[in-house]
Amino acid sequence: MVELITLFGTYIAVFVTLGIFTILYKENPWYRTSESLFLGLAVGYGVAQQMLFVRDQWAGQWSKSSIMMIGYFLALLVGIMWYFRFSKKYFYIYRWPLAVIVGTGIGASLRTVMIAQFLDQIRAQALLNLWVPNNIWPTTINNICMFVMTPAVLLYFWFTGADSKPGFMKYVDKLARYTMMAGFGSAFGYTVLTRYSLFIGRAQFLLGIPPNLAEGYPAFIVMALIMLASMIGYDLMQKKKTTAV
Amino acid sequence: MSFVEKLQNIDRRWIYILAWIFVLYPLINPLGLPVPIQKESTAWNKAINDIPDGSVVVFSCMFSIASIPELYPMTIATFSHLMTKNCKIIVATFWNDGALVFDQTLLKQIDPATYGKVYGKDWIDLGYAPGAETAMRAFADDMVNTFPSDYLYSKPTSSYEIMQNIKTAADVDIIVSFESGTPGVGEWLRQWNTPYGTKLIVGCSGVSAPGMAPYLQSGQLNANLPGLTSTAEYELLIKRPALATAGVDAVSMSHLLVVLLVILGNVGYFATRGRKS
Repeated sequence: MVELITLFGTYIAVFVTLGIFTILYKENPWYRTSESLFLGLAVGYGVAQQMLFVRDQWAGQWSKSSIMMIGYFLALLVGIMWYFRFSKKYFYIYRWPLAVIVGTGIGASLRTVMIAQFLDQIRAQALLNLWVPNNIWPTTINNICMFVMTPAVLLYFWFTGADSKPGFMKYVDKLARYTMMAGFGSAFGYTVLTRYSLFIGRAQFLLGIPPNLAEGYPAFIVMALIMLASMIGYDLMQKKKTTAV
Repeated sequence: MSFVEKLQNIDRRWIYILAWIFVLYPLINPLGLPVPIQKESTAWNKAINDIPDGSVVVFSCMFSIASIPELYPMTIATFSHLMTKNCKIIVATFWNDGALVFDQTLLKQIDPATYGKVYGKDWIDLGYAPGAETAMRAFADDMVNTFPSDYLYSKPTSSYEIMQNIKTAADVDIIVSFESGTPGVGEWLRQWNTPYGTKLIVGCSGVSAPGMAPYLQSGQLNANLPGLTSTAEYELLIKRPALATAGVDAVSMSHLLVVLLVILGNVGYFATRGRKS
């Protein structure tokens, strides 16, 4: 037997799920309620998590010596300076913590970005094996395609803007465009997969497919009927108002 | 207005109704369409199987609640697979909701104790650290001070047996990360893989898959599990069919609908283009 609190939670989850889906029909109060609920919870949870981290850092290491305590309070001060973003008079103070964050972020990533996301890619391209005897399709064909297409796309962007291109570059341009179209097509296909996967996950919850609670299914029927009836009512009311005006 | 012109102006709400039908019908009445095993899921299964005994694994849920429907099945399947291995698991995340996803949803499905895993000795949940890439860098350089206490019991991290010999990224053998954006694979590569040579495998939402391909080709990424379909294949490989396997018919049907709509849209476009000119 499911506990009452779990059942209540299931009904709330079904209500919020269907409330968000009602935007597919049109803007309505159910959608706005669900959206606000989600945003409020997400922000509240986020703030609580950050505060927990600040507390743990104090207890775990920064309260151990007076030098570290000073460092901790300086960091807190920099954090508080963020809030000057909301003041027109002292807005400039907000720029200092921003500079610290941007500086540390760029510094941390610059350390290895050239190797991880530039040189290693060039090395991989240079080491492509253009003849794999036991695997002509797909490996050999794939490698040849990559060997030709990657430089084509790079050349396309290097020489963008020229009014007239020499004969050979016209073919390179065309190949680059086809390559990019293939890339966009692949990205579109995967995007469809993701969007539908998100929908399928919620549909599994609404239908009570394990490991989701079986109580989700009756809750789905009940909440869907209530929402449908109320939205038809809301629509008729809106129409009446428009006619009266 | 002719039929082909109407094709250009279908009310989007009819498309949404069709989407609901194409998704809900195969979920209620499974069609049992074949699930061919592809190289991505095979490589993922091999990467987990090949983790040597005694290895240290960082397991990271780098996604929010909103991505649960797509990434949760692969997270459950991989975590249960890891539970059968003789390795130490450190759970940590740099996404706000990551700790919640692991604690509130995953642990309710899989109890490590049933696999004989002891908390604090075989695995530990460190929770969330804000700061994205800078926090990941700090975690790589000094694990205990980045997470001074654990997430589940709020006890000092240094007091747990598992953390006695694990201090920096150099002590970690492989990162198993599930992600739907930034911070994610780029940050793991920049702060862990390149400086420390830590192996990395990434399960991601389908939309991120094309971005993973260059890293997979360069060998920086040892395996990639993209989206729900690959997860279904992986579930079948480890003989643990679950949510992804149940949803794979709906994935196929929904893609069929999208292909049909693209064809219809093109037919309408080319037919009316000829008339206009």
